[in-house]
Formats: sequence, C-alpha cells, structure tokens
Amino acid sequence: MELAIHTEHLTKIYSQRLIAVNDMNLEVPRGSVFGLLGPNGAGKTTTLRLLLGLQRPTAGQAQVFGKSCGPNAVGVRSQIGYLPTNPKLPGNLRPIEYLDLLGKLSRLPGEVRKPRISALLRAVGLLGATDQRIQTFSTGMCTRLGIAASLVADPPLLLWDEPTAGLDPSARRFTLELIREMGKTKTVVVATHILSDIDQICDHLGVMHEGRMIFTGSMQDMKRRLRRHDFTLELEGTAEDVRRLSHEAANLEGIDAHLDTGQALLVRIADGRSRSRALIDVLKLVDESNLSLQAIHSGQNATENAYLQLLQEDEAHGFHR
Amino acid sequence: MDSTAKSSKIGTRMMPYMAIPRHDMKTLWSSRLVRLWLGATALLTLLLVGSNWSNFMDGTLIASLLFPYLVFPWFFVAVVLGVTPVSGSRAETLADGILCRPVSRLEYLLATWSARVVLVLSVYLVVTVPAIVLVILAKRPVSEDTVTVYGIITSLGVVGLVLTFLVSLGFFTGTLLRKPLLAVVVLVFIWYPIGLILSIFSLEEFSPISLNQAISTQLRRSWRQTDTEAKDNANVKDADVITDQVSNFFSVLSGVQPKQKANKPDFFEGEKFDDLSLFRVTLGYGLPTIAAVILASLCFYWRDL
Repeated sequence: MELAIHTEHLTKIYSQRLIAVNDMNLEVPRGSVFGLLGPNGAGKTTTLRLLLGLQRPTAGQAQVFGKSCGPNAVGVRSQIGYLPTNPKLPGNLRPIEYLDLLGKLSRLPGEVRKPRISALLRAVGLLGATDQRIQTFSTGMCTRLGIAASLVADPPLLLWDEPTAGLDPSARRFTLELIREMGKTKTVVVATHILSDIDQICDHLGVMHEGRMIFTGSMQDMKRRLRRHDFTLELEGTAEDVRRLSHEAANLEGIDAHLDTGQALLVRIADGRSRSRALIDVLKLVDESNLSLQAIHSGQNATENAYLQLLQEDEAHGFHR
Repeated sequence: MDSTAKSSKIGTRMMPYMAIPRHDMKTLWSSRLVRLWLGATALLTLLLVGSNWSNFMDGTLIASLLFPYLVFPWFFVAVVLGVTPVSGSRAETLADGILCRPVSRLEYLLATWSARVVLVLSVYLVVTVPAIVLVILAKRPVSEDTVTVYGIITSLGVVGLVLTFLVSLGFFTGTLLRKPLLAVVVLVFIWYPIGLILSIFSLEEFSPISLNQAISTQLRRSWRQTDTEAKDNANVKDADVITDQVSNFFSVLSGVQPKQKANKPDFFEGEKFDDLSLFRVTLGYGLPTIAAVILASLCFYWRDL
C-alpha cells in the first residue's frame, strides 16, 4: 500500500508540561479520504501542524510522500494544501490579491496562477465578493476562501482542519460535497470531531484520544468493531407489558433483552446468531403482546457507537495505555 | 539551457522572496503608524528647517535634521516596525497563510526584514534628501559652509545604518520575547540609557548622541581628506582600536580586569569629533545588525507556531 502520510512514534510535548501527541503511529493510504477523529484537545490540530513543519516533534518522525517533515521542509509543504480551523487571513487584502500572493509563494508562474485563481473563486462561490476586503467576510466566506487557498497550488494532499466549523447547513453541505469530489483525485485528511461528517465522506479513519491514536483502519473495520448487535424497540403500552416482553425476549436463545429508558426495550444479539432471525423472533413476541411498536433503531449510529466504545475502552485500559 | 529559460527559472525560485516584501510593504504602508510617521517626520523636518533657516550653517542644520532619527523620537518607530513581523497575533496569521506554504522560515524572515528596512529607509530618505538639497542650494542669510557631497552621503549612510540596526534589534527582540509590547518596552529601556551602557564598555563613540554631534564634522569632510588619512595608516589604527574595544567589551562582560587600558580614540577631545571613523562605525553597527538577524533566525527556527 502506497502511503501519503507515515508517522513513527510521533510525540509532541509542550514545555515539558502538556503531551499533545503521544507516541503516534499513523499510516494514511494515498488516494484515501482519511478522517482524523477525536474529541477537542485530542491532538488532531497538533498532528497536522507537525506534518506541516509549523511545529517540531519532541520525538519520532513524520513523512509525507516519503519526505521528512520539518520547519524547512519546503518540498513537503509544496505537496500539501492546508486549511486551518477558522483561518486567520490578512484582512487588508482582497481575495484575488490573497490567492495571488499564495500562488507566488508556491512559485506558480503567472500563466498558471491567474486562470487557476479565477476558477477557484468561481468554484467556492466567491466571484461576487472579489472587490471586498477579507476583513468584511463572514466566517463561511473565510472558510471558502481558505479552501480556495489550500487548492491554489493543486497539491496532491489536503489537510483540512475542522472544515465545517461555524458553517451554515448549505455551506456545510457544499464543503462535504467538495471533499467527496477532491477525494477522487487527491488524498484528503479531514480532522474533525463531527461524526456525521466522517460518516458521509471518509473511507479511512483514525481515532485520537488524549494524544494517542487508538484506532486506524477503514470505515468498515471501524463499524465491524461493534461486536454487539443492538436494536432498540420503542413501544407503546403499559410498563407491566413491556417488562413481560423483556422477560420473554431474554428467554430466547442468543438474545439478551432489558428495559432501556422509558418504554424502550434494548435487544442485544449474541455473536453467531442470525440478526434477521433474532429480530423476527422478537417482533413475533411484540405482535403477540398488548404492545404496539413505535420505532426500531439500529445501525444508524454505528460510527458513533464504535467511536464511543473506543474511547471507553481506551480509558478503561488505564496503565496499559 | 538558454539564458531566457535560466532567468525565468531564477525568477520562479525568487518569487516568494519578491512576493513577501511586496505584501509586507503594502500592509505596512496601509498601517496608520507608517502614514502618521511619514506625515510627522515631514512636518518636523519642515519646522526644523524653517526655524533654523537663518541661524544655522549648512552642516549644523543638516545634523539637526538627522537628530530625530538617531535619538528621539523616530528611533521608536523604527523599533516598533521591527518588532511586529513574527510576534503577537501576526504569528498566527503568518502560520495559517504563509509558513504552511513552500516557504522556508529563513526565506520568510529575510524577506520580511528586508521589507521593513526598505520601508524605514525610504521614509527617512524621502523626507531628508529633499530637505538637505533645499538647505544646500538655497541662498540663506548665514555664512558659507564647507559641506561636501561625500560628507552628506556618508552621514546619511551612518544614520541609515543606525536605523537598520534599530529595525534589526526590534526584529530580534520581537522574535525572542514574542510579545510586541514587551519587546518595545525592553528596547526603549535599553536605547534611552545606551550612552551610559556604551560608556561601561568604553564605546561612547557609538552612542547616538555622539554620532549626531560628529555628523556636522563628517558633513564637512572631503573624500580627498579621508583618502589621505587612509594613506596615513588610519585603518590600521582603527583596527587596533576595534581590537581593544572588543577585548574591553568582553572583559567588562566577564567581570575580568582588562589586561591593558582600551585604546580609546581621541574622539571627544576638544569636541571636534575629528576622529569619527566610518570604518569603526560601520563595524560597530553593522556587526550587531548581522548578529541580530542571525539570532532572530535561530530563535524563529526553533519556535513552534
């Protein structure tokens, strides 16, 4: 497997006090849309900044397309398009001036730079704002300009940090569509704590917690980690009937059922038991009872469940972490 | 490879180095500080020329025009302009916008330092050169003076060098301390008593006030005079003085008694300032300028953004 990003024992400790990235080994396949997932303060942004050479690792090393990262790794940065969270842009410039400056920093000749800038401004929907100074831009417009800025040099790797932060629903949808589109030709790393974004766009995933990479793999691998097969049945009827149903379901082979909050029954299916058969058996019991079925929840929050499970496992490991 | 292709390749490689100063100068030019400075320095020059029009001879008047750049208040502006590039909230903007691009930190630092030096020198020259030309060419009711073109150019050069040093010192302090306000306060506290600090190291001749006093003498010097002095091994003497001064500097720093008394120039004797040596001044301000830029680069290289 050809790798776009490879880190070995990457560690970043700030001022001998705060461990931001802890002995991280990461492999991002070339051509993938990789979601870097983790709660706030997990070390996602620090990881991206280490790859860019904006920060120096305390230990370990990072490589992008086989080249070592560092403050003077110009060759590495020429391969990367970076979108920071809520990018800080020079307010006194206009969008074309800003993108032109970035094009020059990427050593793009004028005949390549100019048409690309105009195409990018059109693509991110800022053609109508080219005569405005950046300081008058809204958060969404700044993010769009930041996206265009990350694409000026047409790099093969995009590192986008919280690209949907602070965006309204339509801008968010636009950004996710764009990531999906970019993923067809480039390697895209999206750092976020928004699970639904990851679910929609990513084919590979890394989960960070307290500076450590606690899972890397494909989205399928992630969902497969949910060994338990859970269904939640929302029922209408008396509490006594629900309790009775719970007892009857628990007596079925390979099924563990217990009352969840309110009128909900949580059904857990053991490994090796057919999910569809188990569901049929439970639904038969519901049909035979005085209860009526309101809704069945299953699988929709698979990523979320797997993610939370990973975090719980990581915390439970204690010293072994 | 033909020359056109070669020059285009060099042009492409130099593109960031041209783009950053242009961007920086544009940003600085749009700042209130620079615009106010330009207006204020023009006004002050006009006032100085107007009020001393019929009092001072050419050399004294020109020296008085250069005083605000060496002593007060314009050194403060030079320091503030030097402090800002990689400190405070600007560091975040440049990390997000510039340093995540294929630009090395050294390239960025040198480009932004050049922009500031060019801007400071431009404002200084744009105001002082026309004023000096006016003073020299106008018929004023004062006795004739012997100011030379060589003297004017070297005097402007000395003040330009001091301003470059101030920008570089601000640049280094801003990079080291990270907080622009703190850096400016520290520099103000260093620059005001600089004469006292320099006298501890027997380097009074480099103090801004001494330089300003010596400038009226320098303005009346001719190239031929300097050439003759050079033939009289003046540079050998300069080198001896410099060696003694450096040795004395480190002796004072380390607390060790100097082996021999520093070979002090006759600079202050009789207040004639005949002993002003461009060679020593160039070394005295040039070397710290280079050191400040190198130290700023090292500080910035090791810094996390």
